[in-house]
Amino acid sequence: MTPRWTATGLSQDLPKGVVMAGHWQGHDLAVWRSATGRLQAWNDRCPHRGMRLSHGFVRGETLACIYHGWVYGAEGGCKHIPAHPALTPPATITVTAFACVEQDGVIWVAPADMAGSPPAVSGVQPLRSVSLTCDLAAVLAVEPALLGQDILRGTVQIDGQGHDVCLLVQNNPAGLTLHALCGVRANKVAASHWVENLRRRAEMKVAA
Amino acid sequence: MIQLYDYVLSASCYKVRLMAALVGVKMDLEAVDFHPGRAHKSVEFAQLNPAGTLPVMVDGDMILTESTAMLVYLAKRAGPQWLGPDDAKSAAQVQQWLAFSGRLAASLGMARLHDMLLYKGDIDAWRAQGHAALRELEAALTERRFAGGEWLVGDTPSIADIACFPNAALSQDGGVSLDAYPSVRLWTRRIRALDRFIEMPGIHRLHELSPTPKVA
Ligand code: FES
Repeated sequence: MTPRWTATGLSQDLPKGVVMAGHWQGHDLAVWRSATGRLQAWNDRCPHRGMRLSHGFVRGETLACIYHGWVYGAEGGCKHIPAHPALTPPATITVTAFACVEQDGVIWVAPADMAGSPPAVSGVQPLRSVSLTCDLAAVLAVEPALLGQDILRGTVQIDGQGHDVCLLVQNNPAGLTLHALCGVRANKVAASHWVENLRRRAEMKVAA
Repeated sequence: MIQLYDYVLSASCYKVRLMAALVGVKMDLEAVDFHPGRAHKSVEFAQLNPAGTLPVMVDGDMILTESTAMLVYLAKRAGPQWLGPDDAKSAAQVQQWLAFSGRLAASLGMARLHDMLLYKGDIDAWRAQGHAALRELEAALTERRFAGGEWLVGDTPSIADIACFPNAALSQDGGVSLDAYPSVRLWTRRIRALDRFIEMPGIHRLHELSPTPKVA
């Protein structure tokens, strides 16, 4: 599979000091923002015993594992092991880091050696991320105005008016996530209802 | 002093303990052997609460058996700002969320009892209903965020938030992940950062607000 940028969340959902779960093509990630705003995406497994680092917590410029408190700093290197406070952890204890870039209010991830920038999504504002239990085909079937593969875009009816929407597609192990953006003049509450309705129609189509 | 018949792992009991802490009311906690003793189903306990559920609040001659009613009682007595704004719409919305919290208990709460205390029942249905309820909570909190709002009703936290918080925050215990609900996650963080917040097993004050543990 050709490596490519995948949208894994919206900037608005990851304030400073917060970690969340992300995904890149089947890989679970811990995506986090440090106290000073530095964004990073790492493999979601603690090198100690495999606990999900997305269940951990941010302290300053580090991410701490919730299980035994191992602390990881810039580039994924282990900085501190609470059970051995005097020890300088060996450089081999490192979490694999992914490339993580924020653009247009969207957080994009790719393998660390990924060249270039994520695709631009201009003219729209971030709205919300939703998860669906159906696949992409069902979404495209109920809303033919949406065109594309990784980035669905089209003009849809929101509140009786045509508005531009953009849905960034993320396939997760647990299902499908869509990161929705909408035209800057669209009412966000109405656009959010449109997204809910799209999800309902697509999931009902599968259930039928 | 208010007496609370209590079980430490119960989300509904914690809801009341948390509210009391937030408004600064001290209660006498009577630990009930819910598991494995099932003391809440005993004949003696039925005199207090024929329904055999926890928590039960006793204050003088008043006995309350619904946790949301206990939140109202504590807020009205010691922290009226927690009742939410006084206009008709807000008051109705608070009631809406108090009732909705019952749906969280009947879905996420039951899934948790299934996984932790081996309750029998349709676990897939409980989890599916839990996701359905979380989707509603997520949509509401997301719409509040569009308008700059951080709480379910009004500009400050209210009994509506406290009623819905425990079962949402404990959803992982029942095998329901919050990964797909960013607005719910950020809202639980705000509650966990409140002044006078108290913990229960499975729900912690924001770790980053606690001092780094020192190992000797
Ligand atoms: S599993 Fe992360 S510190 Fe032990």
